[in-house]
Amino acid sequence: MKRWLGCWILTLLVACRAPQRPAIQSSVPLPTSVEALAAAIDSDARRSDQEPDSRIRVELATEASRDAEACMAREPSNVACLYGGAIALGLEARAHPTRAGELLRTMLERLAGAEAADAGYDHAGPPRVRALVLIRAPGWPLGPGDPEAGLAAARRAAALRPEYPPNHLALAEALAKTGDANGARKSYQQARDLAQALPSASDRDAWLREADQALRNH
Amino acid sequence: MAAVATLVFCAPGYPGGAGDAQPLIDQFAKAAVAGAHWPEGSLAAVYDPSEQSGLSKLGGPDAVLAFVPFAFFVQHAAELHLTPLAQADVVGVGPQERWSLVAKTGALNGPPLTAEYTILSVAGYAPEFIRHSALQAWTLPPDVRIESTGQLLSALRRVAAGEHVVALLDQTQADALPTLPFAAELKVVGQSPPLPVAIIAIVDSRVAAARAKSLQAALLKMGHGGGAGADTLSALRLQGFVMPQVPRPAPAP
Repeated sequence: MKRWLGCWILTLLVACRAPQRPAIQSSVPLPTSVEALAAAIDSDARRSDQEPDSRIRVELATEASRDAEACMAREPSNVACLYGGAIALGLEARAHPTRAGELLRTMLERLAGAEAADAGYDHAGPPRVRALVLIRAPGWPLGPGDPEAGLAAARRAAALRPEYPPNHLALAEALAKTGDANGARKSYQQARDLAQALPSASDRDAWLREADQALRNH
Repeated sequence: MAAVATLVFCAPGYPGGAGDAQPLIDQFAKAAVAGAHWPEGSLAAVYDPSEQSGLSKLGGPDAVLAFVPFAFFVQHAAELHLTPLAQADVVGVGPQERWSLVAKTGALNGPPLTAEYTILSVAGYAPEFIRHSALQAWTLPPDVRIESTGQLLSALRRVAAGEHVVALLDQTQADALPTLPFAAELKVVGQSPPLPVAIIAIVDSRVAAARAKSLQAALLKMGHGGGAGADTLSALRLQGFVMPQVPRPAPAP
């Protein structure tokens, strides 16, 4: 029946490094370098992930799209712009569910471009985020979801940057979605062990919470 | 205090959870109650994507109405004592749809389907529907396997790869077949007669006749000529309701 309901659930967990920017203002100046634009998109993604107010999520998506367009205009083949552009499209999809199908397909194309340019960018961000989109988006024919392709992408991310806990969280989610409960449990445990070994930080605590919660449920 | 009468939406196999659906079905229940001139707040709505917990909810004393795919209706109408009240008219599909049986090109051209095949479908939880409604012309062997899957892309890959599986697709899925990169490996080898897409039914005669009549009239008016219900229906990808025309399933051999 969800076919009639036409809803999309997509919570893209994007690992970021940039500090959060202050509250949205209509006249936020456009960052000037590719690095600054990419960091601004990262910051918007992180804020959107925590933001309960849909109007603010729309504003964040708009700002991220503006920054992504500026980045692509400067250096269209730079991995930071391709990846940032994909993340901005994810924010747009979340803010505008009725256009999510088309936006997510374009997002996957951008992620493929980013992976071709530098798969290891952002701790294997291109294959990791690609995996999460493929796992969580509605499947054919309603959307671009494809758990098998998502599993392949998650395996690539975990192989490329095995030390980074979110890559194992994504792999665990993909394994669970494709019916490998034992494999999922092992990957969640691995993510937990890796996170446990890191210094205390908000990201690390979030990864531990996700792994612990999943281990309780699997 | 008596429990509020509840409309249970249940659509096994289709993606999504209750959280995102709840505001939409709350809105639907409110619009239906207003149209039927039932007391405000007299009908709650709940969405459940799983067959077993949906059945459990429908078995509760507060469940008075069910909004379910036709496959679910066929499978469970007798045990739940479901009486059809209205038939959904779905955007892009209509009030009826044909289900299509898809096989690997060249592997199968028509009946019979031998027992070595497994039928994969989003309606796999409803073998009565598959045997006696969707594939009534095929007279399936009693030991043919029927499996439920929400991952049609994986199922169709297995069909195209030449495994002994066939896929039974609803109309939306069948219409999208040409979009698959391996579409040439797939062939529609059978179709159902036109069947309802989804049904709103009264559970176990728990709605008095006069109230049922006013609700039916309200549903049939919803979405036709705009009105307050049009936006509510649009969010559910519905364009209205028609009188139920439930075909009799083919008798068991």
